[in-house]
Amino acid sequence: MMRRLSLLRAVALDSFLSGTRDKLFTLFSVFAFTAVYASVLAGVMAVDQEARVLSDMGLALMELTALAYALFSASTALLREAETKTIYLVFSRPVPRGLYLAGKLGGSLLTSALMLAVMAAMHLLLLRLRGFGVPDCYGWALAGSFLKLAVITSFALFVSLFSTSAVSTLVISGIMWTLGHFAPEARFLAEKAEGLRAAALKTALFLVPNLQLLNARDASGSACALPAAALVPAVCWVLACYLGALWLLRRKEF
Amino acid sequence: MRAGRLLPLAALLAWLAGGLAAASLGGSGYPPPSALRSTAASASWDMGALAFGARRLFADLWFVRLMQYYGTPEIPEDGHDEASCAEPGHHHHHYGLNGEGRYPLFLPISLHVLQLDPYFGAAALYSAGSLAFNMNRPADAEAVLRFALAYDQRAWKHLNLLAAIGYSRSGDPAAVAAALAPMLKDPDCPVMLKQQAAFLNKRIGNYAAAAAIYADIAATSRDQAYVANARRELQKLASAAGGRP
Repeated sequence: MMRRLSLLRAVALDSFLSGTRDKLFTLFSVFAFTAVYASVLAGVMAVDQEARVLSDMGLALMELTALAYALFSASTALLREAETKTIYLVFSRPVPRGLYLAGKLGGSLLTSALMLAVMAAMHLLLLRLRGFGVPDCYGWALAGSFLKLAVITSFALFVSLFSTSAVSTLVISGIMWTLGHFAPEARFLAEKAEGLRAAALKTALFLVPNLQLLNARDASGSACALPAAALVPAVCWVLACYLGALWLLRRKEF
Repeated sequence: MRAGRLLPLAALLAWLAGGLAAASLGGSGYPPPSALRSTAASASWDMGALAFGARRLFADLWFVRLMQYYGTPEIPEDGHDEASCAEPGHHHHHYGLNGEGRYPLFLPISLHVLQLDPYFGAAALYSAGSLAFNMNRPADAEAVLRFALAYDQRAWKHLNLLAAIGYSRSGDPAAVAAALAPMLKDPDCPVMLKQQAAFLNKRIGNYAAAAAIYADIAATSRDQAYVANARRELQKLASAAGGRP
């Protein structure tokens, strides 16, 4: 058991460190800082609503930047290792594929968490410099963004194992991200529809992860706190992607 | 080998379990897409708001656009030059002394902001206040407030403003000022409404209350035009008080 944990930690740490050493990581961080700083302009235009605009824009930009990096990282993680033959070296040793995959996913999630934390620190500093405190529900917004990133990163990892290129993985995952945010609208349409169309929409509701459920950043009114029950679907979707990815990885000949 | 065969089934079950758990957690609390009425060039923005789960952010951006629209002078039909803003000190340059004008897109854009985020209290108050007190369109102002109240029934400031608009229609400035008073200390209260309350208090001779509101505007607003006006009014009130026995 200890050996397995140690293996898991080694793979996750390697994935995390190679992620943070990546030039793209720096590039995304610089972009995030620039984008968050640019949001000051919109904030100033909102005059007395500057705090709200700065907060909303910063959180959205942070999430989109972390999403871009997480998707890119997840869609290339296994592909790059296969191309550089590193994966053959790993699997020539007694490393179970399940642990390897869990380590890769864990590393990607750690990198996303680090990105969010760094950008949040920059964002809060910026807010402070403009004379504002920590916005309401800020922690919940970050937690929600992280959970959404966890779902979509694991989905991208799963897709990367059967798609033909990193670009197609990015596109498929991007579409899933968009569909995930449309889930409440799809539910509304399903309730209005009748017959076969209603059945099709209701089935689709189960097949698309409802990311809006985890979207505390955009929560309406005072309902910004993520309910503990929201963790259940997030964990289920991550687990499903992991199991699906493991199935595909087992079928590959390395 | 057998475990390998079970993996896709386990993955599918886990995915469906996630869907079931999510379905039991209810809706988003936002207006449905059918409530979104497109205004000029808003359709693609609305798509972005829904696709990226950023209704709040897009409501913010539409609110900025609303203020820009209201801050842009209307070209008068009779060809007269734009009047300059005097008391009660609007920083926007409208055709009219106090933000009057037709601004035909003001109501649709205001409603659009609230269709994206009906919990954006400051936007509802700003829009309704401008419509009722500056543009003399109380019915439109009430429509804005009622839309917001349909989603946020506990918004007491909306109810107070509704009452103030009612008193304004019946020509009772003292009652309007009294209805506005409780919301003035709220951080969400638009400076425009504070300005209106100060002006009404001055009009009914309640100079101490007017001075207190102007002092609050000068101390808290980030809008330099309102701050400058509040300082001017404070000076006027101080010199008038010096002249009074």
